[in-house]
Amino acid sequence: MSEVVLHRIGKTFGDTVAVEDLSLTIRDGEFVVLLGPTGAGKTTSLRLIAGLERPDCGRVTIAGRDVGRQSPAERDVAFVFQQYSLYPHLSVYDNLAFPLRSPARRLNSDEIDRRVREVARMVRIEHKLQSRSTRLSGGEMQRVAIGRALVRRPAIYLMDEPLSSLDAKLRAELRLELKRIQKELGSTLLYVTHDQVEAMTMADRIGILSEGRLVQIGTPREIYADPANLHVAARLGQPHINLLPTDLLPGAAPPSGASAIGARTEHLEIATDAQGNAEVDWIEHLGDQNHLHIRVRGHKLVTLADPYLSIKPGDRINLTLRQPLYFGSDGERLR
Amino acid sequence: MTDAPSTIAERSADMLARATPTTIAVRVRGLSDRAIAWLFITPTIALLLAINIFPLIWAVYLSFTNFRANRPNAEVEGVGLRNYQRVLNDPDIWIAMQTTAHFVFWTILLQMIIGFALAYLIDRKFRGHAFWTTVILIPMMLSPAVVGNFWRFLYQPQIGLFNYIVSFFTGIPPSSFEMLGSVTLAPWAIIIVDTWMWAPYVMLICLAGLRSIPDYIYEAAEVDRASAWRQFWSITVPMALPFIMLAVLFRGIENFKMFDMVMLLTGGGPGSTTEVASITLKREAFESWLTGRSSAFAIILFVAVFGLANIYVKALNKVKQR
Repeated sequence: MSEVVLHRIGKTFGDTVAVEDLSLTIRDGEFVVLLGPTGAGKTTSLRLIAGLERPDCGRVTIAGRDVGRQSPAERDVAFVFQQYSLYPHLSVYDNLAFPLRSPARRLNSDEIDRRVREVARMVRIEHKLQSRSTRLSGGEMQRVAIGRALVRRPAIYLMDEPLSSLDAKLRAELRLELKRIQKELGSTLLYVTHDQVEAMTMADRIGILSEGRLVQIGTPREIYADPANLHVAARLGQPHINLLPTDLLPGAAPPSGASAIGARTEHLEIATDAQGNAEVDWIEHLGDQNHLHIRVRGHKLVTLADPYLSIKPGDRINLTLRQPLYFGSDGERLR
Repeated sequence: MTDAPSTIAERSADMLARATPTTIAVRVRGLSDRAIAWLFITPTIALLLAINIFPLIWAVYLSFTNFRANRPNAEVEGVGLRNYQRVLNDPDIWIAMQTTAHFVFWTILLQMIIGFALAYLIDRKFRGHAFWTTVILIPMMLSPAVVGNFWRFLYQPQIGLFNYIVSFFTGIPPSSFEMLGSVTLAPWAIIIVDTWMWAPYVMLICLAGLRSIPDYIYEAAEVDRASAWRQFWSITVPMALPFIMLAVLFRGIENFKMFDMVMLLTGGGPGSTTEVASITLKREAFESWLTGRSSAFAIILFVAVFGLANIYVKALNKVKQR
């Protein structure tokens, strides 16, 4: 049982509000992703749980105990930093063994060896155990950093954009592996990112942060399909959600007070029609799909289209809305 | 020079030449880039040759002769390796070398401990740490002549502050001991002054080393439950080690040739208890006027320092590459 609860946490640095009135529960064995742009307070939230920062107000509990006065070492958390925070003069093996060699743990060397090798296998670094950590590639370094967190069985794993400095291919690989490992160990994990793909693919629940506040939390499906406001809707979806005036396209049934319509690909129906209401501006061919850039009376839209749809730039099409999202003038969602 | 520039340096010089305004290009037309480069570095090379390389070669030549600078008109004869033989068989010179080694060892040890400790404290970034850094650096910025005379007063048995403070804390009467006049105390008197003056320099280098260690390494260690003691030995020391070694190298070379402070404080005395190699060298050269022999001694010292420094730099590079 290692539920982590943040209760009405606040933290400011000078005049900058980093986190404001943040309440969040991470259930035992849950993979929660905090998603938000730079400066939204994601990293600060992690550091507050780890004890690397002290909150100005509010309470943090880990597995039921109030950790407000405890040092990072006493809190039983593992942290993966955005930078490769390896001990540069140590080998990969010694880096992985470092947390286990803490006198507080009293593990014998056979046990340490067994766990280091097990984790090295998990993060696929067992062939480099004797290498100096400075001789590794970026991907290998970050795998070691993740491994160094995994050798322990802490109450919660805290990961601060661990994949952001890796190339796209490796990121996709490690994303899968991390999710697999977390499932395998049944561990509790709080993960911070600004990458919506990471959030959508790995999270049990996604929390959307904006300007230090938790705007919405829910399963990836809920967050995507049922966003609480414009900010959340804009964070997810590729291509980006299209914002349109309520009277631009047919098929809408805006509730009273609606000032904008949000339309993603699944909210737009395309029909080829020489007399249609829209004109195709440009087509980006991505292989498995096409990005269609469309113009409707001076408004530009981007949507996905079947690559076999026979249209070309300059063609006219007919666009109809299908149960789009409606937003009020304050950006809140109207249902 | 061929038309196709090969190295990066040549290529960038080529680009620069093409970007040069026409007036200058016209003025230096007819000169290749290589020639212009030589034109710029020639004054430096000439100066270096005149004041460094030539005297060195001249000293090597003199070390094989019986030349005496106070008898410039006497006939100069080649004596082969006899000067070197004499120097290496002279027991006084070996005693001077031993005294030097003693100084080098203790000054480096004390300066490293004090310098590193100061750096470690200053690196805590407390309020006013920049001010204290400046205050600590003052001794290093003073002229050795000022420091030497200044400490002669401090060490004065009747009115000196040093003797007074020692007596204040220990009860030993201040005029009962002479720091500069006693055979046992004089070497330590010099070691204390040199440490006072140069520990700040070591601190500066160590501080650079400590500042180069990113905070998140410490944060990672803290989350990994490493105690402050373990963080110090497994992060701070290994990561600052190249800097510490560099400080040892600089201070080692400097103190091997230590002259000014000894000359000002004791002049090598009492007796010859503080007579380091450079003082002996000065005596041989400018009191006994054995120019040839002292040149041989100087060359031996030079080779010794150069050799030791080279071995040391190899070790330093090994540590850096880890």
